Amino acid sequence: MIRLAQLWRRARHYARREQFDRELAEEMRFHLEMKAEEYVAAGMSPEEARRAARRQFGNETRLRESSRETWGFASMETLLQDVRFGARVLAKHRGFTAVAVVTLALGIGANTAIFSVVNELLLRPLPFRDAGRLVMLWEVSPAGRRQNSTSRANFRAWREQGASFEGMAAFSDQRLNLSGAGDPEEVSVQLATPELFRVLDVKPALGRALAEEDAGPDAPDVAVLSHGLWQRRFGGDPAVVGRSITLNGTPRTVVGVLPAGFQWHIKQRSSTGRPAEIWVPLAMPTEGAAARGRFLSVVARMKPGVTVEQAAAEMKTIAARLEQDAPQFNKGFGAEVLPLREQFVGNVRPALLILLGAVGFVLLIACANVANLMLSRAAAREKEIALRTALGASRMRVVRQLLTESLLLALMGSALGLLVAWWGISALVAISPRDVVNLQGVGLNLTVLGWTLAVSLLTGVIFGIAPALEATRLNLNDTLKEGGKGAGGHGARAGRLRSAFVVAEVALALVLLASAGLLVKSFFRLQKIDTGFETENVLTMVVSLPEGKYGEERQMVAFFRQVTERLRALPGVRAAGMVNYLPLYGGPGSSTGFTVEGRPAPPPGEEPGTSVRVADAAYFEAMGIPLVRGRHFNEREGAEARRVALVSESMARQHFPGEDPVGKRISVDMFEQPTPTEIVGVVGDVRYDSLTDEAVPTVYFPHPDLAYPFMTLVIRTAGDPSEVAAAARREVRAVDPEQAVADVRTMNQVMADTVGRARFNTLLFGLFAGLATLLAAVGIFGVMNYSVALRTREIGLRMALGAQPRRVLMLILRQGMFLTLVGVGLGLVGALTLTRVMSSLLFGVEATDPATFAAIVVLLTLVSLLACYVPARRATRVDPLNALRYE
Amino acid sequence: MVKSREPKKSEMMPGTLELLILKTLERNRDPLHGYGIARHIQRVSRDVLQVEEGSLYPALQRLVVKGLVEAEWGVSDNNRRARLYRLTPAGRKQLAAEVADFERLLEAILRVVRPA
Repeated sequence: MIRLAQLWRRARHYARREQFDRELAEEMRFHLEMKAEEYVAAGMSPEEARRAARRQFGNETRLRESSRETWGFASMETLLQDVRFGARVLAKHRGFTAVAVVTLALGIGANTAIFSVVNELLLRPLPFRDAGRLVMLWEVSPAGRRQNSTSRANFRAWREQGASFEGMAAFSDQRLNLSGAGDPEEVSVQLATPELFRVLDVKPALGRALAEEDAGPDAPDVAVLSHGLWQRRFGGDPAVVGRSITLNGTPRTVVGVLPAGFQWHIKQRSSTGRPAEIWVPLAMPTEGAAARGRFLSVVARMKPGVTVEQAAAEMKTIAARLEQDAPQFNKGFGAEVLPLREQFVGNVRPALLILLGAVGFVLLIACANVANLMLSRAAAREKEIALRTALGASRMRVVRQLLTESLLLALMGSALGLLVAWWGISALVAISPRDVVNLQGVGLNLTVLGWTLAVSLLTGVIFGIAPALEATRLNLNDTLKEGGKGAGGHGARAGRLRSAFVVAEVALALVLLASAGLLVKSFFRLQKIDTGFETENVLTMVVSLPEGKYGEERQMVAFFRQVTERLRALPGVRAAGMVNYLPLYGGPGSSTGFTVEGRPAPPPGEEPGTSVRVADAAYFEAMGIPLVRGRHFNEREGAEARRVALVSESMARQHFPGEDPVGKRISVDMFEQPTPTEIVGVVGDVRYDSLTDEAVPTVYFPHPDLAYPFMTLVIRTAGDPSEVAAAARREVRAVDPEQAVADVRTMNQVMADTVGRARFNTLLFGLFAGLATLLAAVGIFGVMNYSVALRTREIGLRMALGAQPRRVLMLILRQGMFLTLVGVGLGLVGALTLTRVMSSLLFGVEATDPATFAAIVVLLTLVSLLACYVPARRATRVDPLNALRYE
Repeated sequence: MVKSREPKKSEMMPGTLELLILKTLERNRDPLHGYGIARHIQRVSRDVLQVEEGSLYPALQRLVVKGLVEAEWGVSDNNRRARLYRLTPAGRKQLAAEVADFERLLEAILRVVRPA
């Protein structure tokens, strides 16, 4: 009630505020007159009495203002007044305003762009109900490889024993040929246990999702479609449920369509490299090799209240039990629990946070620059501020006015910054690596706008507060006496503040440059890695044959022999071979056990392991992989199984030390029965898993020995490989008109995709470091230029007294270089501390690499020397006569 | 030309000025103008309380906003137009409460500073 009445009084007052001001003035005048009369009655002269009354009364303007402020709305009114005044001041000094706004826009824009990515990847909730309870379950291999796929048998044990989980589902991606209803097409299909949709809590848009009964051995073959596939191939026809589609020759009934936007794709372990569009039940044989092969990814929903740590502890116990129960399969295998968000973005988190830190630094430098500009201008405004103080404005009042101005600047900067960010975001999306994370959804949303607003208000205060406090710290009498000419009493203090800003800018720029330098160096290292193959002029494409049509291995072998023969006959083709998995392809990496004939059998679980690949002789020629010993597969071995294999150098080194592996016979656990195979040659090592991991021992089988329906064609060309692509497709079609070709890429593109993230980080850091250096240079230039202007008189005097221009030049340069070197020193300390956090982004270079640091220091010093040189030259051209007459 | 930049600090406890104004208005049956209030405070306190006279006006505005005091234009003793202030019933109640508070506080302070 009382509040309401107060509000009403305030509102009524606001409506009549001009009358109120008049009345208050009248009231005070009345008071002063009465007081003066009192003094006159006591015997003073009228003049004296008036002065005494005024003295006794206090500062009338301030009192009037504080009376006005009592009425609440007044502060709003002052704000409007301040904004109007600030806008007028900024409009009058267009050059200053433009420089400040552009500087801030660059800083704020870069921040907004990076934040929008951080928001999308790290902050925005995942599109699943209660996603915090979703986790991925993986094995950890004896070699310590994390996120290792698991087997059906182990998954079954996890599902039965895991008490921390409400539900658990296993899945695996495969490329299958989809035919019927339109052209044949290779699609990514996810084989999943039916619980998948319950665990993720997805309700189908049409029909039903997979159900328990679909997984039975005698269940009819069914399929669930993604919304996208349904639209693309069936035109969104609601009657699709109940229709039949053919996958690799097997007809399946469509039972449901998933909602738009649903996507379930674990890129790191997908063997198709793209999101699934069709879901079919995963068969679950309980016996034999099929139960033990490790190729499954597992997602689980934790029970409410269970923590990731508890779940991880339980999984560890289960893994230990499995190791004991079946050491021949599980010796050394552990288990890990990975929260879903970490699975999706875990490996980009450090890079992103470091990038956010980097743009924060850029913004700080921008703030320092603007603060310096404001300080220089504050000196010019000294008289104005002194006058306002003299007229009764309190210091707080003037600070508030100056802060309003800087906030206005910051808001203008952020408005322009949003434009910069908008452009920056599309550039980010364009150059972002397409592996692992999807940036397509990034944009300027409310969260991002809120962040930008907060950042700009904060920057406004940061760059505004120090100059405002400095500007109002003046001694009124001195300034007024001096008539507001030149730098007044606080010149020295402001000069120190300016110098401090420059030192900070140089230090911040050095930290950024050092980080960028380290990234550039490790990027070059990454590209210089000996991968074991040659990437120039190589075209690759994936062909996967449908099971139904090519049920027999003989047919697969014949198909690929025909295709590669036809490719070799094409003009411009130097060599054409094939391999099942390309280097750097990703996919399910695994280690397969083997035994060497004539050696005692190792204890169970301790068999040596090798990576297994299928290739033909021409593959090594096309990829430029050298033959080190022995021979390649011959013509006959390419046509029928002769039980031969090639091994890699590391295999020879690790498992046949001091021996010649050629002629030895090994038995690799890839076949139903032990199959002794003769090693006919040794080939060079290839980094298959990643650029940064050492090559692992590898055995190559010819296609007839280990027929795969899924092969990658590798074609070495004489000229531009992409020109051969169309002809190559035609040759595949010529062998089978219905056969699709996928993932046509040059080997250079494969490489570029692999180093994509490193390039992305390097590019962005380079950009920010460049921006930081530019801003710092502008800052140094501004300060030195201003300092030369202030010292014109002194320099003129020196020159009049016979100082040589060279000495004057050195005088100014010394001042600038001193600041630079202090900044460099502080920056080095900061960089040595901070670059440590980025060691996870570096490859082949220490976080404290002396060469990089030295180069950066030299670079920054040179840039700053240049920034000082221009004002210094100006100083040497000071005309002594003019400078002295100046007074 | 200006004596000091910073406002002169009132040598009273915060809120005391408002209390004095309320008490002054309570004592006088007739409404008082600002000058009258100032003179009364000075006379009664025998010039012990140094008040920067002008600070009376912001204080009066605060009381009006809170609804403890009412203002009205009228005529002064010497027949001049003046704004006259009077206590509202809410003001009277507030004064009683504040005087009680003040006395309790004063008593406590005296107990501390006075030798036993």
